[in-house]
Amino acid sequence: MTGKAVVALEAVSKAYGATRALDGIDLAVHEGELLSLLGPSGCGKTSTLNIVAGFIEPDAGRVLLDGQDVTRQPAWRRGLGVVFQSYALFPHMSVADNVAFGLRERRMGRREAEARVAEALALVRLPAAGAMRPSHLSGGMQQRVALARALVIRPRVLLLDEPLAALDRKLREEMRAELREIQRAVGITTIFVTHDQHEALGLSDRVAVMNAGRIEQLGTPREVYQRPATGFVADFIGASSALEGRAVDAGTVELAGGQRIAVRLPRPLEPGTRVRLLIRPERVEPGDGGANALPARVASVMFLGDHAEVRLELPGGARVLAVVRGTVVVEPGDRLTVTLPPDAFLEAP
Amino acid sequence: MADAAAAGAQRRSPALGLALLAPSAAMLAVFAIALGALFQFSLLEFIPGSLRTGGLTDRNFRGVLAPLYLRYIWDTVVLSALTTAFTLAASYPVAYALARTPSARVRSLLLVLTLAPFFTGAIVRTYAWMLVLGNSFVRWPVKLLFEPEGVLVGLVHFSMPTMILILAAAISHIDPGYERAAASLGARPWRVFWRVTLPLSTPGIVSGSLVVFAWTFSAFPTPELLGGGRVKMIANVVKDLALDSFNWPGSAAFAVVALAVTLGLLVLMGRLLGRGAA
Amino acid sequence: MIGRLVVLALVLFMTLPTLVVVVASFNPTAILSFPPQGLSLRWYENALTYPQFRRAALNSLIVTAASAALALPIGTAAALALVRYPVRLRGLWNTALLSPLVVPGVAAGLGLLILAARLGLLANRVVLIVAHVVLVLPFVIRSVMVSVANLDPMLERAAASLGARPWRVFRRVTLPLLRPGLFAALLFAVIVSANEFVVSLFVSTRVTEILPVAMFTYVVNYTDPTMAALSTLFVAATFAAVFLADRLLHLSRVFQIEGHR
Repeated sequence: MTGKAVVALEAVSKAYGATRALDGIDLAVHEGELLSLLGPSGCGKTSTLNIVAGFIEPDAGRVLLDGQDVTRQPAWRRGLGVVFQSYALFPHMSVADNVAFGLRERRMGRREAEARVAEALALVRLPAAGAMRPSHLSGGMQQRVALARALVIRPRVLLLDEPLAALDRKLREEMRAELREIQRAVGITTIFVTHDQHEALGLSDRVAVMNAGRIEQLGTPREVYQRPATGFVADFIGASSALEGRAVDAGTVELAGGQRIAVRLPRPLEPGTRVRLLIRPERVEPGDGGANALPARVASVMFLGDHAEVRLELPGGARVLAVVRGTVVVEPGDRLTVTLPPDAFLEAP
Repeated sequence: MADAAAAGAQRRSPALGLALLAPSAAMLAVFAIALGALFQFSLLEFIPGSLRTGGLTDRNFRGVLAPLYLRYIWDTVVLSALTTAFTLAASYPVAYALARTPSARVRSLLLVLTLAPFFTGAIVRTYAWMLVLGNSFVRWPVKLLFEPEGVLVGLVHFSMPTMILILAAAISHIDPGYERAAASLGARPWRVFWRVTLPLSTPGIVSGSLVVFAWTFSAFPTPELLGGGRVKMIANVVKDLALDSFNWPGSAAFAVVALAVTLGLLVLMGRLLGRGAA
Repeated sequence: MIGRLVVLALVLFMTLPTLVVVVASFNPTAILSFPPQGLSLRWYENALTYPQFRRAALNSLIVTAASAALALPIGTAAALALVRYPVRLRGLWNTALLSPLVVPGVAAGLGLLILAARLGLLANRVVLIVAHVVLVLPFVIRSVMVSVANLDPMLERAAASLGARPWRVFRRVTLPLLRPGLFAALLFAVIVSANEFVVSLFVSTRVTEILPVAMFTYVVNYTDPTMAALSTLFVAATFAAVFLADRLLHLSRVFQIEGHR
């Protein structure tokens, strides 16, 4: 662990009636980093954010802010900036009053507050929107105002709850890049909640993949993608195909169709055991690449412009997803040879 | 997400919630004590010429069953039933228009026209019917004022806003998709209404009818003024006994009967519809 | 087409008595006639100068102002508790708080009369005011609950995250956003209280009686159009109030009538 944690959760649990929203979460967020909480809906990521923000109290465990226990501290004392999925801009106030809200709560003088508001609006590239009502702004502009409002109080930590989910696709991609630029420029420690793996992988320094109230894996986007710690992570992040087989020896698996393939896994296989192997589509190579070259039949092709997803059927019925460049023409029923590199496999637990 | 349901309810203490309810509860308690006093008096003996009461007795309730009063109760039942039927027939078209008009402006207008009588006091509305039913404006072929027929008109008019609001809420919750589906299957407009809309609005019809029957059963100002002492319903008997004869125990017995019928019908409605009173 | 005519006829039936009252109020003679023989404001003058009406109007003002002033904060607190707080037996509370609406007026009136006699408060206005508060509360609670339910709790969270303590959140965010609902609730309270009759008849005396009770007594004893004039004033005020309430709160939402496209 490098440096002291800005935010730390220790064995945090929360239940709503019989459903366990959070089940013993441990998490440390470091100075200046952007950490994503990624998972399907209901996995507990929003509950985690709400506990950090102080909107809900955990049933058990502690929340530390700069080493101080804030578990029982109400939200208004914590000094964190929150951007809500719905933005939650106050409809009865102008944009400038929205941004100045937190400054007024801190009893800041009028002059200084005005200067700070102008600075914040400039940062989100809305220097002229101060007098407008939030309802007159587009979704993307409302998003920027929400960000300015959260940043203007110079919070210790920025909490973003699915801030891009309400935007349409093109705007979402633009805002994603801009968000990262602003976060870097301000240098603020940030927790980002999302169900979108592209957002999480593209934006984060580290990603915590959550499922059923637990953190399944915490690591850099590269680690999480390339070395998923659990079957859930492998399945949830990126596409992958599963191949069922039986270990023949430490490095060889016999597939259901009788083909023997070499695999290089982090741990040696126990001969005779059943094995479930995962392989990412982009690692499936068309053509004879040496080891593990197998005959296959094209079952279906989905053309997606710059690339096409090809579903291949191996003898014995196993199906493998592969990606080919958009310029390559394949048709359902074509027979071809594919190579599954030995080091491309992951073992599903 | 589980959070959504708990949003806002978190970090708020149940104790503060109860404290916020306390003043309302105190007001309700006064009301409940008053109704308790009513029950108590209905079981105490009336001492003529005095507001003081004697011991426990069932005479007051046996008094309710005296032939003279039985007639008033019978009149009350008949008038309530007729009022319910006429109100239902007269309210459905308005409720349907209110729920199904595509124009927000028409809906708003209908709503205000429906609600204004609802909030115009009973005295003003009843007085208005005295003018209409009396013979100064229109020469009615039959006598209406101070006759059951006149009382019935007044009661229907009085009940319509309530019925319209309940029916309109029920109709507006029917997905128009069902009606479009029926039309696409070849049903003409009124067959669509008859086979789809009307059956689907049954909950509104049931609750509207029960509410109107229950309220009419204890109606007071309409029969008092439009009945002119010749047509009496149970609430008029309560008032006569309490405020003119000072027989509070006897009056309380009638009030308890009216209360029991009203609450009984509303509980029945709750059961039939499987939810609380609308 | 036929449907529209039917609806029009029924709406006319509903508004006809009101129209007749308005016409009658301008009738120049004590005996009503139709069509009217001219226009006169003498019944308005009569209504506004009749001593018992003046006294009753003052009583109405006191009772309505007092009951609205009490019912608004009491009902608002209850509405907040029911929508926002983890109250146990919420359904029971809801039913109990709306229950005064379904108790027959004569039963409530006689019960309160007996209670007042027991407490030696027979000629006291307090009983009248308490009765009005109880009868008005369901309307206040219902309107405020609709407003509170429409208030996004995220706005309050946002305010808290920006450093506002609970009281400040209430002052700067909750209350301003509830204002239209509170105003509509106030209107309801005033309308219902000003028009309440049955319960008031039981718990008031000639000295404390409010306008509707005085009007009742007048109608029973006199037939001239003074009542029509007073009624017209009443109706005009009520229409204005309902119209205003609809503008502020969209009554269709309060009564759960939704438009479909």
